[in-house]
Amino acid sequence: MTNLLEVTHLEKNFGTHKVLKDINLHVEPGEVLSIIGSSGSGKSTLLRCINLLEQPTSGKIDFHGENVLANSFNVTDYRAKVGMVFQSFNLFNNLNVLQNCTIGQTTVLHRNAAEAKTIALEQLEKVGMAPYVDAKPAQLSGGQKQRVGIARAVSMSPEVLLFDEPTSALDPEMVDDVLDSMRALAHTGLTMILVTHEMAFARDISDHVVFMDQGVIAEEGTANQIFGTPQEERTKTFLKRYLNRV
Amino acid sequence: MKKHRNFWFFLGALLLMILAVPTVTSQAASGTFKVGMEAGYPPFNWTQNDASNGAVKIQGSSTYANGYDVQMAKKIAMALNKKLVVVKTEWDGLQPALTSGKLDAIIAGMSPTAQRRKAIDFTDTYYRSKLVIVVRKDSKYAKATSLKDFKNAKLTAQLNTYHYTALGQIQGVIKEPAMKDFSAMRVALESGTIDGYISEKPEGISVTSANPNVKMIQFKGTNGFKTNPEDTDLAIGLRKNDPARVKINAELAKISQAERDKLMANAVNEQPQTSGNSENWFLAILKQYGNMLLRGTGVTLLISMVGTIVGFIIGLLVAIIRTIPTAGSRFRRILLKVIDWLLSVYIEVFRGTPMIVQAAVLYYGAAQAFGWNMDRLVAALLIVSINTGAYLSEIMRGGIISVDDGQFEAAHALGMTHLQTMIKIILPQAVRNSLPAVTNEFVINIKDTSVLSIISVSELFFTGSTIAGQNFQFFHTYLVICLIYLILTFTITRILRLVERRLDGPQNYNIMANQDQVSTPTDHN
Repeated sequence: MTNLLEVTHLEKNFGTHKVLKDINLHVEPGEVLSIIGSSGSGKSTLLRCINLLEQPTSGKIDFHGENVLANSFNVTDYRAKVGMVFQSFNLFNNLNVLQNCTIGQTTVLHRNAAEAKTIALEQLEKVGMAPYVDAKPAQLSGGQKQRVGIARAVSMSPEVLLFDEPTSALDPEMVDDVLDSMRALAHTGLTMILVTHEMAFARDISDHVVFMDQGVIAEEGTANQIFGTPQEERTKTFLKRYLNRV
Repeated sequence: MKKHRNFWFFLGALLLMILAVPTVTSQAASGTFKVGMEAGYPPFNWTQNDASNGAVKIQGSSTYANGYDVQMAKKIAMALNKKLVVVKTEWDGLQPALTSGKLDAIIAGMSPTAQRRKAIDFTDTYYRSKLVIVVRKDSKYAKATSLKDFKNAKLTAQLNTYHYTALGQIQGVIKEPAMKDFSAMRVALESGTIDGYISEKPEGISVTSANPNVKMIQFKGTNGFKTNPEDTDLAIGLRKNDPARVKINAELAKISQAERDKLMANAVNEQPQTSGNSENWFLAILKQYGNMLLRGTGVTLLISMVGTIVGFIIGLLVAIIRTIPTAGSRFRRILLKVIDWLLSVYIEVFRGTPMIVQAAVLYYGAAQAFGWNMDRLVAALLIVSINTGAYLSEIMRGGIISVDDGQFEAAHALGMTHLQTMIKIILPQAVRNSLPAVTNEFVINIKDTSVLSIISVSELFFTGSTIAGQNFQFFHTYLVICLIYLILTFTITRILRLVERRLDGPQNYNIMANQDQVSTPTDHN
C-alpha cells in the first residue's frame, strides 16, 4: 500500500445535520493536498476528523494501512505523527515561543531538553521567529503567532502536517510571511493537507486538489486540472467567484 | 429527572447530618481533673500572664487562670487526688465539651437550672449570689432602688442564663436581645446602646472596681428580683451519673460559708486591674498584652494560611476530577458520575452551612459520637481547609472551563494525553486566572477564623475578647485588634499581587538581534 492516508466512506453528523457524506480520499507520501470549497462545505470538519479532533460518525481512516478508528489504536501516538496548524493559532498562552515548540517534543516524544531546543530553534529560524524565543504569545502579532504555530507543528517531525485555514485570521500584509513559510515546507517533501481560501497559493503549491461542496467531494484532480480545466459546473462557479475577486 | 437528582442529593446531605448525631458518650478517665471555664468572668475566673496568687496554667497556652472558680477547683482536685487542668472554653461550648468528654467538670459560675439538669448533673452549691443591675453612673437609673424604677430602661443579660428570663419581672422594661458574654454587655453599656444589664453581685463588684464609670444597683427585700435558689446557687457541672459527685459534695460540705466569703473577697482583690492612665493607652495595651496579641495573630495567620493552601489543593483536585471528559467505557462513565455526585454533595454541604456550625459539629459532634478527642487547633485547621476547599473547587472549575478550547485542541493535536494537557497547559492558566479569587478567599479566611472562637481556638479575636474582658477598655482593645486584622489582610493582598506578577512573567522581551532574519520587524511593547 503506497498511500500514507486513506479515507473511505467517511461520514460525520452533528445531530441530524450531515456535515460529511461518503468522503473517499487518499494521500500519497510527500504530496501536497489542498482542500478548497465555500464556507460550510465541510473542509475543516474533514481535516479535524483526520486527526481525530472530531470523532467520525462512520467510515474508515487508514494510516499506513492501519485503521485509526479502531478501539485498540493508539491515538496519542498517531496525533504526534500528524501535526496541525490552526486558524486561530492556539499557541499555549502560558508558555513562551521556545517552550511552545519544545513542550510537545519533551512530553510526547520524550526528547531531552537540549535536543528539543536545538530542533525548535532550527524550525523557528526557518520561519523567521528565532529572535522572539522569549516572547509570550500575547506579545506577538497574528502573522508571527502563526509562524510559531508552524514551527511548533514541524518541531514534532510529523509525517503529515494539516493546515486549517492558516491565513484566514490574518491581516493581508501578514499573509505572505506565513505562505512563504508554508511554501518552504512544501519544498522539503513533507506531506501536507491544507484547507485554504488562498486560491493562487493552492494552485502554485498543490500536487492534488479536492473541491468540496455541501459535504461531498465534488471534483478532484491535479492543480492544473481543477484550476485550469474544471469539469463540474459548481467548481467553475466557485472558482469564477474567487478569481474575479483577485 | 431533575427532581430525582435533588432527592438523592437531599438524602446524601441527611446522611452526613446523621453521622454528627451523638450515639455514644465517651468517658475520659485519667489522672487529671479537666475543668472548663471561660477564664474571662472575674472574679469567678479570669486570664492572667503569670502564676501569681496561686493561678493555674491554662491547657495548651502560656497564660494562667485564676479566680474563685480556680481556687475552688484546686480544692476539689486535691480531694479527688487528681491533677487540675484548666481548659479555657467559651460559655456556649462548656456543656458540649463536658458531655463529649473534653472536660470532667464545669466550674464557671454556672447555675443548676432545670433545663441544664436535663443534660448534665450538678453538685451541691459552691457559691450563692444575688442578682443586681449594672448601670452607668451618669444615667438616670443610677439612683434606682427598686425594679419599678427601671420602667422604659433598655436592659439585657447574658444569652442562655436565667438573668435574661429575670428581665420579665421588670414592668415596662425594654428587653434588648440577649448578649453572648459580659464583655459584650460592658461594651454595650459603655457605648450607650443599653442602659444596663443584669448580673450577679460578684461580677458587679468587679466591674465597678475596675471601671469607675459604672455602678451596681442592689435591691433590698421585695424590691429586687424573685429568684429561684436553683438559679442563684452556683454549682459544679458534671456528666450524668459521674461517680465523682459524692466525693465532690463531701468536699464542698467541708468548705464553710466564711471560707467561701474569704475566697470571694480575695478573688475580687486579685482580679486584674486596669493600669493607670499615665501611659498612652495604645502602648499600655501592647506592653501588657503584646505577647497574647502576637500569639493570637500567629494562630490566626497559621489557620488561614494552612486553610487556604490545603483548601487550594483540595479545590484543584476536585476541579480536575469534575472536568474529566465523560467518555470511554460504560464503567468509567458510571464511576465518574458517582464521584461527581459525591463531590457536589461535599461542595453544597460545606458551602451551604455556616463555618461556625461546621466547627461546632466537627469538634463537639465527633467527640460525642465517636469519642474522637481532637486537638482544637487541628479541628480548626481541618474545618477551614475543608470549607475553603468547597469554595475553591468551584472557583478552580470556573478557571479550567474559562481556558479556551483551542488550548485543549492544540495540546491534543500534539499527542498529549488528557493528564499531560491539564498539568502542562490548562492548569497553569486556570490557576493564574483564579488567583485573584484565591487571594479573596485568603482574606476572607483571615477574618472568618474569628468564628472559631466557638471551639475556643485562641485566635486573634478570641484573644481580643479575653483582653477586653479584663482591662475593660473595649474600644481601645478592639481598635488594636482591628488594626492587626487590617495589616494582615493588606499585606497578604500585596504579596499575592506580587505572585500574580511573577506568574505573568516580564512585560518585555529581548529580541535576539544577532539572529534577526525578520524582514519587517514590528514594534512591540
